[in-house]
Amino acid sequence: MSEYLFEMRDIVKEFSGVRALNGINLAVRPGECVGLCGENGAGKSTLMKVLSGVYPYGTWSGEILFDGKPLKAHSVRDSEAAGIVIIHQELMLVPQLSVAENIFLGNEIRKFGGVMDYDAMYAKADALLARLKLKDVNVAAPVMNYGGGYQQLFEIAKALAKNARLLILDEPSSSLTSSETDTLLSIIEDLKRDGVACVYISHKLEEVARVCDTVTVIRDGKHIVTKPMSEMTTHSIITAMVGRDIENLFPKVEHEIGEVIFEARHVTCWDVTNPNRKRVDDISFEVRRGEILGIAGLVGAGRTELVSAIFGAYPGRYEAELVLEGKPLKVKTPEQAIKAGLSLVPEDRKRQGIVPLLGVGDNITLATLSHYAHAGTIDRQAELQTVDAEIKRLRVKTASPELAIMGLSGGNQQKAVLTKMLLPNPKVLILDEPTRGVDVGSKYDIYKLMFELATKGVAIIMVSSEMPEVLGVSDRVLVVGEGRLRGNFQNVGLTQEQVLAAAISHAAEGPAHAA
Amino acid sequence: MQAQKIQQLFVRYKILALLIAVALIWVFFHVKTESAFITPGNLSNLFRQMAITGMLACGMVFIIIAGEIDLSVGSQLGLLGGVVAILTVNLGWGTWPSIGAVLLLGLVIGAFNGFVVTKMRVPSFIVGLGGMLAFRGIVLYVTGSSTIAPAPDDLVQLGQGFVPPMLSRWIGALIFLAMIGLTVRRRVRRSKLGLHQVALWMDVGRLVLIGAVIFGFIRMLNDANGIPIPVMILLALLAVFTYVSTQTVFGRHIYAVGGNMEATRLSGVNVARVKLVVFALMGLMCAFAGIITVARTGSGSPSAGTGGELDAISACFIGGTSMRGGSGTVYGALIGALVMASLDSGMQLMDVDNSWQMIIKGVILVLAVWVDVLSGSNRNA
Repeated sequence: MSEYLFEMRDIVKEFSGVRALNGINLAVRPGECVGLCGENGAGKSTLMKVLSGVYPYGTWSGEILFDGKPLKAHSVRDSEAAGIVIIHQELMLVPQLSVAENIFLGNEIRKFGGVMDYDAMYAKADALLARLKLKDVNVAAPVMNYGGGYQQLFEIAKALAKNARLLILDEPSSSLTSSETDTLLSIIEDLKRDGVACVYISHKLEEVARVCDTVTVIRDGKHIVTKPMSEMTTHSIITAMVGRDIENLFPKVEHEIGEVIFEARHVTCWDVTNPNRKRVDDISFEVRRGEILGIAGLVGAGRTELVSAIFGAYPGRYEAELVLEGKPLKVKTPEQAIKAGLSLVPEDRKRQGIVPLLGVGDNITLATLSHYAHAGTIDRQAELQTVDAEIKRLRVKTASPELAIMGLSGGNQQKAVLTKMLLPNPKVLILDEPTRGVDVGSKYDIYKLMFELATKGVAIIMVSSEMPEVLGVSDRVLVVGEGRLRGNFQNVGLTQEQVLAAAISHAAEGPAHAA
Repeated sequence: MQAQKIQQLFVRYKILALLIAVALIWVFFHVKTESAFITPGNLSNLFRQMAITGMLACGMVFIIIAGEIDLSVGSQLGLLGGVVAILTVNLGWGTWPSIGAVLLLGLVIGAFNGFVVTKMRVPSFIVGLGGMLAFRGIVLYVTGSSTIAPAPDDLVQLGQGFVPPMLSRWIGALIFLAMIGLTVRRRVRRSKLGLHQVALWMDVGRLVLIGAVIFGFIRMLNDANGIPIPVMILLALLAVFTYVSTQTVFGRHIYAVGGNMEATRLSGVNVARVKLVVFALMGLMCAFAGIITVARTGSGSPSAGTGGELDAISACFIGGTSMRGGSGTVYGALIGALVMASLDSGMQLMDVDNSWQMIIKGVILVLAVWVDVLSGSNRNA
């Protein structure tokens, strides 16, 4: 047993009397990767903020040892100086600045008088990227020229430039394709060999299982278990996270599939900035009453563009012929789409789903406000009655419907957004990554709801990058690759390999290609 | 813990902190001016002065909540005031037809601004900056850069007159009865639908407080000459705008658009239309303010309303409107306007030099927003 590089002991953090963290222990050896698992709201982000100095020393109790010495970080700068670097879920790069400028942001190599030494920075950036096996990057080009997979690796290079000895990765793969994730994980393994310690935070347990040596599970701010990965299974991790045994992640209910209710023909979308490039190229499909249609594919394959065009929300030029219940449908705006009986739950909850300052109730009724109004005046009481009922039905955890929705956990926000788009009683429900950043318990509730709706005859179109989800929930799976339809499978004995093979059949392999 | 509780109370009831600030300012000036400040006569003047900024602030608060800004309102005020003066003085139109025409023109100008912002997608800051110059230029052109006077008597009466004391009492009583009626109706409806009920003493306490404020206000101003007509108009606008912002679909949509435009659009709300109407309302408020300005001074001056946009915007921010949009209240903005007007009036009474007046107002604006930031109530996700 080697000595710990880093140890947190009995960390307690309170927010106005509420204990967000209640005696957490976490320890990492040099060259070790510890997986930190827990549902949304379990306290992972709070713990990371304590660790990285966002909450300065003294605002929490307990102790942190780094290299055997107590660490009293008063700011992020202090903890970075010690060698602790956190890579956030949302990438913190400045798109307009060059790759090298981003890597050394706040940490620039200077000549006399504060002039930047570009030659030294370019050389060192090249060396850092070579260490990450990235050879074809022009470090003088703006970051926005590169895709998400590259950008994630730039973040790691940035951390290495700060001489990171402990790297904290918060959901690093949430916007990566599976091949990009693969590259990322193998790089983490390389770093481990070099003696860099990691804390890997992820909902994706296959990744945790692959890259982590030890797993720590926390729940409701309490430490539940720390064990070597070899003694844990994904099932035992989930049980520890949820606190109850979830037998089946996908509570599949048999439902009847009826006649074709909705057809999209010849959907084509052009890139917003490059009018010659097609993001979606002539895709046609139909969906039946009570059917759950999964749309699989790599990130950037054009799935989101496809469903936003159907919903009238695609920002660029597009063409689509839609047929609902045998009648042609003209949809130019989301307003018309909702009136016609389509609903879309968008992929990016923060940017497209919630209105953060509004109350949970106000968010829930945003799409159907006129239902509770006479001559433009809202009947608050009728509105509140619906809100109360929906909050109970979907088990949205909130102290009050008037509370601003930004205070809720990701899973509960997602339930509220889902409710909002269900209240118009859609005939066709489109879900774009319905469980992204959602904890296991809420995922279960969302799947249950989907089966319930399918049983009632709602047609569901679900875009998802999580293969187990696509296979666990869908009746039929469409595969989209590079803007074209690459496969259409009945989900009977379908395997991940088959879907993936279809997705990349014509796609260029390798980590994300420059955009 | 105690301090934290008080802080939470203020965050929740921002209005409380603002009212305390107004009271402190009044007491300070009262002491400094040897009891000349808190008198019916002076307060009557103060409220009348505040009415024009208040009207602009009513429109501006919606604009800022919707996540936009309008820098052209001072020039719009000047233009619309100039038009009402030309119509009544030079062209001999009747007062009421002129007012109707100018209100309509205000709506059209506002809608035009909204059109440029939403349909032509020019940032509102730029549209406002352009409008500020262009509208002022039009005023100078149509008035030939000279003051147009004298405004007809019935128009002047609107700016300088008073509501008869008896009528004010009746209006106050009607409003009070309406508040009681609404509260009772809400309680009945809530108990019928089995919803959570506010404690009875809180509702009663709220009504008693409202009654005290209404009748105290009427009594105080009746001790002078009565409620100035512009103040009565402002109070009516306050009622309408508060109702729109809290009780209507359109009002909720303003907050939603400012809080997250993309999420609101994907919820099926026509966000462009919401913003366009908000800009049109701003134009309408500029018309109100322009007409009252001419009525107060008895003349249409080509420089009327210069700097009015800054007063209106300051009032909104002092009143706790979030700079990023998505939150704010109409009454907050009006109390913000009251703060600005109180400072003006108090410093004039104290004979403070104009240079110092500007410095102090500038510092107070920054301080007020700083306190707001400190209290954490302006933190967005």
